[in-house]
Amino acid sequence: MTTKRQMLKGMLAATVLPLGGFGAMAQQGDITIGATVPITGPLSLTGKQYHNALQMAEKDINAAGGINGRKIKIVFEDTQASNGTAVNAFMKLAQEVKSPFYFLSSYSTQNLAVSPEVKKVAAPVMYAGGADVIAEAGNEWMFRVRPADLVSARGMVEAAQLLKAKKPGIIFIQNDFGQGGAQVAAKQFEALGTPIVGMEAYGQTDKDFSAQIISLRGKGADVILLFNYPQDGALFLRQAKMLGLKLPLVTSSSALVPAVMQLISASDLENVWGVVDAHMDVSAGDRMKDFIDRYKKTFGIDPDPYGLAYYDGALIMAEGMRKVGLEPKALRDWLAALRNWQGIGHVYSFDEKGNGVFDLAVVKAKPGTKELELVKTIKIN
Amino acid sequence: MADFIQLLVNGLALGSVYALAAIGFVIVYSATGVVNFAAGQFVMFGTFAGVAMLSNLGLSLPVGYAAALIAMAGFGALFFAAVYMPLRNSPVATVIIGTVAVSIVMQNAALLGFGSWPFRLASPLDGITFDIAGAAITAHAAMVVVVTGVLVGLIWLLFYKTALGIGMRAVAQDTEAALLMGLNVNVLLVLSWVLAAVLAGIAGLLLGPMWFADVNMGDPIALKAFAATIIGGFGSLPGAIAGGLFVGLTELLGASYISSAYKDLIAFVVMILFLLVRPQGVFGERIQDRG
Repeated sequence: MTTKRQMLKGMLAATVLPLGGFGAMAQQGDITIGATVPITGPLSLTGKQYHNALQMAEKDINAAGGINGRKIKIVFEDTQASNGTAVNAFMKLAQEVKSPFYFLSSYSTQNLAVSPEVKKVAAPVMYAGGADVIAEAGNEWMFRVRPADLVSARGMVEAAQLLKAKKPGIIFIQNDFGQGGAQVAAKQFEALGTPIVGMEAYGQTDKDFSAQIISLRGKGADVILLFNYPQDGALFLRQAKMLGLKLPLVTSSSALVPAVMQLISASDLENVWGVVDAHMDVSAGDRMKDFIDRYKKTFGIDPDPYGLAYYDGALIMAEGMRKVGLEPKALRDWLAALRNWQGIGHVYSFDEKGNGVFDLAVVKAKPGTKELELVKTIKIN
Repeated sequence: MADFIQLLVNGLALGSVYALAAIGFVIVYSATGVVNFAAGQFVMFGTFAGVAMLSNLGLSLPVGYAAALIAMAGFGALFFAAVYMPLRNSPVATVIIGTVAVSIVMQNAALLGFGSWPFRLASPLDGITFDIAGAAITAHAAMVVVVTGVLVGLIWLLFYKTALGIGMRAVAQDTEAALLMGLNVNVLLVLSWVLAAVLAGIAGLLLGPMWFADVNMGDPIALKAFAATIIGGFGSLPGAIAGGLFVGLTELLGASYISSAYKDLIAFVVMILFLLVRPQGVFGERIQDRG
């Protein structure tokens, strides 16, 4: 009898003590937040930006009093350019750091790979991958802080219309992001009565795009839409100019980030239009100017919209934690109900699929410079 | 016609780079019986040697190129001493795994040294373009083809018309017999690695202005050069050249005239067919007794 009572006491202690321990831990010390970011590898061209931006957000949140007096500490894991590494990075953080909230990378293929694990961990995450299939999968824990590819593709199609395209062609990187965006754009052109003349693909490690460019030129394209990542985008713009391509190009946002600008010359941007998540110019307002100035001062490079999305996301997360605490479900529900939150880059409202951004900017390069000027802001309901 | 010429020249330029990397494979394989899976990273090191000399140290183009190639020669010798020599009496599979391991070390060393952001490497012929029957041919692409052609000629002369080259071939054919004949086998072996590294360096310097200098550039090059070597024939210089050009041309012409979505598939399907039907490749020696 005694043994049975002792055993019951032991079981009760084993069940309750960890909870009590977690509760005690949750009320003291830093709040650790996990972030999986491509810090190395070819995807780090943009990954570096949100690595920086999240560090800046951590500093700002803590300087403003943290989360009800407790500091946050963002713990980073490198996803490199591999989906497998991204999954391992997330699982490592989930097991070792046990955050109430996580940031995922901005690469759709990595977001898709990690999504099932996010469901198992059952904590809210913010991500910036654009692929529509991520949100369509209906993972209630995932919140997107960038425009979905559907929004970006519409912006690119609208840019092509501004360029009076009658025979658009599309070139895309062969992955979930590129294929998804290209198909959305093709359908939109079809609906507008200007079907595309051709669609060409390239691989992520490809270095020569002359075949794709020549093929579309041969089919009579008058505008080419390009769904790309940063490094291939830079190479594409250079090669298009070397081939003497006179057609206007409309690129997705990756080709116009500061990292790309370092690799190309002003002449490579001649006749190049594109969409960017947010027009990051000091003239856009005091908060934008403050962000740009401080980012440049801290990291010595220009910020990009990817980093800004994560900065805004971190501030949203901090506000949520201040209001509803660290319980993942409560935090998730607060995010799901968030409407019209005024960020620096966007006004965030999460829909039932976790999409939070519905606007972007069409820009073009100022002739002879690498400066981008705003053509039009697009908002999609 | 203009489009075809354009694709042909671009394909030849791309194929020339693959051919140079493939020749590196062949030289090392012929001399040592080892497939050097670090060959792609050798090319990447060549590009970054150029970045170090031209961008970081600010040397002029001729001095920078020469310094980069001297550095690559030193690297080849170091690789021989630090990787090949300790493993030379191990089974071939061990040596091959060793080269794979070293390639990972090389990539990470470049990452630590140069960071993950790409660099733009200047070409001596930057901005010069020829109009040939309506095709815009960059002078750099033309230079890549010409330089490769000249190098191939020089390598042929070295191997078939000089005592040094004949000695290297003798070591490749039968190391023990070469030793008994009084040849300094170690010197000839180190020269093979040095030559492979210098060729990779030239490929890297040619490649830098065409692509960006990027620490991840080695893997796709190695993959294509490996396919080129299989198709052309392991151990065969003409095979490496033909294979490299075939893969480069297939990549561009296949993308344009068949499907851009399946362009890599075409080259690799051809490679698999060769492995099944003619494993020694087009020009290759019989390889069943090689590791």
